[in-house]
Amino acid sequence: MTVAVAAAVADGVLPGRVWIYSNYHCNLACSYCLTDSAPGVAKRALTADRMVRVAEQAAELGFDAIGVTGGEPFLAPGMAGTLARIADILPTIALTNGTLFSGARLAALDALAGRDIALQISLDAADPDVNDEARGAENFAQVIDAIPKLVERGIRVRLATTVGDVAPHDAARLCALHRELGVADEDHVVRPIVHRGRAAERAIGVHATRDDLPAELTVTADGAYWSPFGPTVRDGRVDTDLLISRTTDPLAVPAELLLRAVEGRPPGTDTTLNIR
Amino acid sequence: MSRVELLGADDAPLVARRYYDEGDPGPIVAALAQVPEMLDSTLAFIGAVLGPSSIDGRTKELVILRTSAVSLCRYCVDSHSVVALDTGVVHDEVAALRNVEAAWTATFADPREAALLGWVDAVAGGRGPVSDESSARFKAEFADHEVVELTLLIAATLMLNRFCTALDLPTATAVLDRLRRERLA
Repeated sequence: MTVAVAAAVADGVLPGRVWIYSNYHCNLACSYCLTDSAPGVAKRALTADRMVRVAEQAAELGFDAIGVTGGEPFLAPGMAGTLARIADILPTIALTNGTLFSGARLAALDALAGRDIALQISLDAADPDVNDEARGAENFAQVIDAIPKLVERGIRVRLATTVGDVAPHDAARLCALHRELGVADEDHVVRPIVHRGRAAERAIGVHATRDDLPAELTVTADGAYWSPFGPTVRDGRVDTDLLISRTTDPLAVPAELLLRAVEGRPPGTDTTLNIR
Repeated sequence: MSRVELLGADDAPLVARRYYDEGDPGPIVAALAQVPEMLDSTLAFIGAVLGPSSIDGRTKELVILRTSAVSLCRYCVDSHSVVALDTGVVHDEVAALRNVEAAWTATFADPREAALLGWVDAVAGGRGPVSDESSARFKAEFADHEVVELTLLIAATLMLNRFCTALDLPTATAVLDRLRRERLA
């Protein structure tokens, strides 16, 4: 069956990226956060060794990329070193709010230079007030300050814009801004707010069913999920509707269950909402 | 009130959803759905052992109900009292099987069923080795393959008994209503 997983990835039946939720706590409390993350919430953290083991098993199963997300991953001690270990196994994207890169944390990022890893930083608008309304005071300024420092260090930066709606002139301003910061057009991702987690509590975002979401195997401290949009949190409870299994080691267990769930799904159904 | 969250249809994990297609799947499935990778294998096992097989339904329900009574599983006793009635076990027999304080011998005079219930009481109610006397009576009435299957049925029921009791799974309202009507509540 594990051969079937590798074949499914090779054939595009299963997406190649495995996501890892490093932790759920965050120094921010964004209005649309899927995981209801904030300072002081349950950390639901994976250890560094556990994350590396997921990457090792993902590679053995035939997956071809890793994504690390949270919460804010860089709140976990030694995250730069952990990401370097993961990136030595498979190409990696790490999602971060980009607000913690100073002092020792910034210096530690030197470990990522020259490795196959990108840091994907959230920035939702070219207008600081609009951005900061959703993401918190001073967020825009902190992100704008951080990106050039990362680029200078030889770290690839991607920019993720999560929006309910974006007017053409706002998009143009945002694109001009990311180019100015050294982020290439292909590294700018615009995606909708998804109506889960805190966004659901605030009645915002697009409703997404399983078939709207790419079946990207996602590992958390609570189990394995259909997509990184699966292990969302509402009222302190991790949602279970997109849960695949509680077992995550060996990774073959959820990978095979995910493949079974994916087989027979009409092709292309996960692209209509541009959720990524 | 269950000791764990029983997942409803909206929260049912992907691989559990088919068990909700025809409505409320009951608390055992709703609890197992918390660990969805265990569902298929567990329910397949339970279905194979407790469901239709070469041994008739009445015999199996005698075993399930008596085992549940001996292990004091409120959920299983209530649920399988109804199943037993629907399988043709009569009211007085159900009442006798449920009652662990009084002997069932007056109600179950048939030697085969008496040997079976003696085996159930010895296996489900005892600890350590089962007596040669119980075994001899049981084996005098049942072939080896029946001994194996019925003993497996006792063991599987005990597993469910402890699962349902430990998690304090709630008895369905319809079951309680039926038991009241049958004067078994």
